[in-house]
Amino acid sequence: MVVRPYNEELEYLERKTPFKWEIKKGFQPNMKVEGVFYVNTFLEKLMLEELQNSCRPGMIGGFLPGVKQIANVAALPGIVHKSIGLPDIHSGYGFAIGNMAAFDMDDPQSIVSPGGVGFDINCGVRLLRTNLFEKDVQPVKEQLAQSMFDHIPVGVGSKGIIPMNANDLEEALEMGMDWSLREGYAWAEDKEHCEENGRMLNADSSKVSMRARKRGLPQLGTLGAGNHYAEIQVVDEVYDKWAAKKMGIENIGQVCVMIHSGSRGFGHQVATDALLEMEKAMKRDQIEVNDRQLACARINSNEGQNYLKAMSAAANFAWVNRSSMTFLARQAFAKQFKLTPDDLDMHVIYDVSHNIAKMEQHYIDGKLKHLLVHRKGSTRAFPPYHPLIPVDYQLTGQPVLIGGTMGTCSYVLTGTEQGMNETFGSTCHGAGRALSRAKSRRNIDYNDVLEKLSQQGISIRVASPKLVMEESPESYKNVTDVVNTCHEAGISKKTVKLRPIAVIKG
Amino acid sequence: MSDIKEEDWNLPPCKYECEIRPKCYCIISYGLVTNFKMSLFVLDLDHTADIQIHAWGDTLTEAFEQCANAMFHYMTEVDYIEMRESYDIEVEGHDMVTLLYNFLDELLFIFSAEPNYIARKVKIEEFDTTAFKIKAKGFGEEFQLGKHPQGTEVKAITFANMQIHENEGKCEVFVILDI
Repeated sequence: MVVRPYNEELEYLERKTPFKWEIKKGFQPNMKVEGVFYVNTFLEKLMLEELQNSCRPGMIGGFLPGVKQIANVAALPGIVHKSIGLPDIHSGYGFAIGNMAAFDMDDPQSIVSPGGVGFDINCGVRLLRTNLFEKDVQPVKEQLAQSMFDHIPVGVGSKGIIPMNANDLEEALEMGMDWSLREGYAWAEDKEHCEENGRMLNADSSKVSMRARKRGLPQLGTLGAGNHYAEIQVVDEVYDKWAAKKMGIENIGQVCVMIHSGSRGFGHQVATDALLEMEKAMKRDQIEVNDRQLACARINSNEGQNYLKAMSAAANFAWVNRSSMTFLARQAFAKQFKLTPDDLDMHVIYDVSHNIAKMEQHYIDGKLKHLLVHRKGSTRAFPPYHPLIPVDYQLTGQPVLIGGTMGTCSYVLTGTEQGMNETFGSTCHGAGRALSRAKSRRNIDYNDVLEKLSQQGISIRVASPKLVMEESPESYKNVTDVVNTCHEAGISKKTVKLRPIAVIKG
Repeated sequence: MSDIKEEDWNLPPCKYECEIRPKCYCIISYGLVTNFKMSLFVLDLDHTADIQIHAWGDTLTEAFEQCANAMFHYMTEVDYIEMRESYDIEVEGHDMVTLLYNFLDELLFIFSAEPNYIARKVKIEEFDTTAFKIKAKGFGEEFQLGKHPQGTEVKAITFANMQIHENEGKCEVFVILDI
């Protein structure tokens, strides 16, 4: 890593618009394209502080700041356009979280990197609507929260309650949500409103290790821990009435359910296996990278292809996982209100993936290109009329779900044409951490957090008390800042704001 | 699974912390007795996505054992684990760093998949530093909801900034876990 004094580092950074900064070539060695990141004045301060801290003398082998990580990604072989940092960016393993980059599939040098997807493959957010309003739910909020907590297995060491054997897992990995549909856990309409229709066709479970299967089997249909959650939310503000109506959101106060989860131990193991394989492949193919953590392999190599197939299987696992929890949430509501989920109109509004690599077509300098788009902590946000979005959203643009953290708001955005041109149709994914977990635990008091939540009228059920501090709103960047930056920069458009009334967490 | 011998009931002192700072956080939070030493390295390692374990011991064997203990202690509250049965693992690597990685990864695996085993302590029985092989035994039981409090889920072990320092009388390891 190049270490320069802070003021020299700043010479490589330039503010292009009030919401966009450019990282010039030379900031890190071998940069093939420029980097860019989106911030407002407040987030900008966080970004630059992080860089400044890393420039202090005597820093050895600490964590790389987000800006440096964006620049290192810009040095990877086969990258096109720009290495892009979204407003919620924070330092991660290899790629920063909130970093997206696309690689030219037709360039034999191009690479695929498990670090550009993350350990939690196809981590994502799903939003269900109901025809209930806040006044219907308020009197039974505590019971409903408890019922959701009882239905959905959460936290470390929990096991799924949907019966599964090794054969079922095999089929689920190949079929994704089609498996859930066949087994009766999902509705046919759910698939329509899910990226890729809830099934990656290139999934090949024979490329998945036995270890990954063994870790995955007991965990299917579990929420997980960390930042994953299931929330009962109410519509707080509607910015675009027409688009909201298309999503079945009629009025302020309408109750929705948001589920944030991923591929659990299965995906973690697939990523781990791939990283170990690629370490070796990098030496063989002489791929040079700035940071050893950016393990990668050529897209056309065996390792690259195996990873893409295994990753797709993990993506299918995640969709089956979210579908299973959707089933459980529907059951919890149905039992509470003694109505069927159908009567409660509990349709999936949309399901987004924010840790994934996909093959997509984009225009670069007017030419159509086949790209492998890595989105790590970044959500796809396709504009109106794009062929890959469901017919219901053809006019509005793809719904983008931005989950908040415990007690903060969540947002629904829609994709824009400008986003398609600037960021390969990608936008932010959530709040993004501002404090480390350790720092949160030292500085934030358990009772204060609970007190604050109860003042806001939010019921909470958490499996691990430590998480209360680690996941408190103070530990995160302000999600409103993040979403507003995306809106102002034009890469996505605000549609609906949701406020939580009950939080279920690991 | 094999029998637990008399000497296996002795618990090791806590020689780890889950981040680098001049106070040992884990010891305070779990209320363990310890012979805590000041960290030699002063780094700003507050990381936003992950947690870092710093473990040490008189020998490398001890430092590795401590590191494994630290990982389990992050997943639950250690005082609730009964040493009911032991579990044997064998791992190898092609250098020290991969050996440590595979050692922790194997322990994470036996926790995450059958038999969902969580250890109160891990003891390394054979440590081959030339062929990079470890034979170790865990002492604990199957993780059960209701009996063991739920801590934080570890997604993966990472190579990020992994450090192994071997000095006369004091060995240290640093590992970042993705959580």
